[in-house]
Amino acid sequence: MTVLASVALMPRNTGILFLLGYRKFVSPLYGDVCRYHPSCSAYGLGQVQQRGLLVGSVLTLWRIARCNPFSNGGLDNVVLRNTWFQVNRLGFTEPKTKKGL
Amino acid sequence: MPDILWPIKWAIEAILVAFHTLFSSIGFPAEAGLTWILSIIGLVVVVRSAMIPVFVRQIKSQRNMLVMQPELQALQKKFKGKTDPESRQKFAAEQMELYKKYKANPLSSCMPLLLQMPIFGGLFVVLNEAQKSAPGVGLLTQNLATLFANATVFGAKLSDNFNGNTNAKVMAAVLIILMTASQFITQRQIMAKNQNPAAMNSQYAQTQKIMLYVFPLIFAVSSFAFPLGVMWYWLASNFWTMVQQFVVIRNMPTPGSEAHKAREQRLAKKGKALTVEEIEQLPEPQKQQRAQPVSKTRAKKTR
Repeated sequence: MTVLASVALMPRNTGILFLLGYRKFVSPLYGDVCRYHPSCSAYGLGQVQQRGLLVGSVLTLWRIARCNPFSNGGLDNVVLRNTWFQVNRLGFTEPKTKKGL
Repeated sequence: MPDILWPIKWAIEAILVAFHTLFSSIGFPAEAGLTWILSIIGLVVVVRSAMIPVFVRQIKSQRNMLVMQPELQALQKKFKGKTDPESRQKFAAEQMELYKKYKANPLSSCMPLLLQMPIFGGLFVVLNEAQKSAPGVGLLTQNLATLFANATVFGAKLSDNFNGNTNAKVMAAVLIILMTASQFITQRQIMAKNQNPAAMNSQYAQTQKIMLYVFPLIFAVSSFAFPLGVMWYWLASNFWTMVQQFVVIRNMPTPGSEAHKAREQRLAKKGKALTVEEIEQLPEPQKQQRAQPVSKTRAKKTR
């Protein structure tokens, strides 16, 4: 069961790896630019963690589209809905362990 | 895989070829590297000019910042000295709410920045293809592609990278130094002058500081992959940003920042008062009241 869950989490973990790398190395080049809180990349990371690579990516693209000079920005949090997995200290998702519950 | 960059590539080629035709027709030799570099700079001018409305919009929204200064300062006071992540989160969130309330946001937003990336990618592909004398997807014909691939400046081929001949190596090195310098200055300008003190000590600013010293490395590594033509684009774009930033920081600084104080001092020195509009928007002057002397023990309690 755990193995199956790990496989199911692989795509989103790939996305998470990419987003973490972006946040660590590319994002600081630009400084604070986002009009929302949390920032677009933080939101993207959260959505991919919670909703998976596909839905998360689409939501992130939609958020980036909304983060334009003509929008007023504001608060736009990610809804936590993790059920059968958990987010570990590094930001990756893993199957829920008994300890984790 | 479908070519998602196709429209961008087509547009880049059209702009490049248009400038190349223009410069050739006023007497620049069509095969010269200089003509192609000028065309690339022309591309930068077109791309960045197209983004000016976005920039102006951003400045306008910064203007509204003046109105909300008192509330923003109150908020900063409330969170002063609190450096734990939760407080910082809360501060950022409340600040955002405030921005929204006044429809003012000093931040430039993400989309324009990310839009630049495919343009850069497209340019990379266009130049890379031209390097192999392969025709582009649109106006960059076989003939022009060959001209581009063989164009040289100071003996360095524009399609070469750091792996090229000595001249290409030297030019790559010079470009890296110039790119690093311009990026460094731009970043320093923003960080030193245009950030309000509250934002300055955040974790983010710390990372930014570190990155400042990682740039040269990034540029150096990328110079092995990017042809000189792309680097010229990058450099010209960096210079544009630097100048634009300078003008904005000088004339439209973030309220509460160092640059803002400097501007007010400059205006005062010139004897130029603030415009009526600006005076109306200024926060009410605080009532002058002498601070009561406080004993050391009491002073500590109030922090």
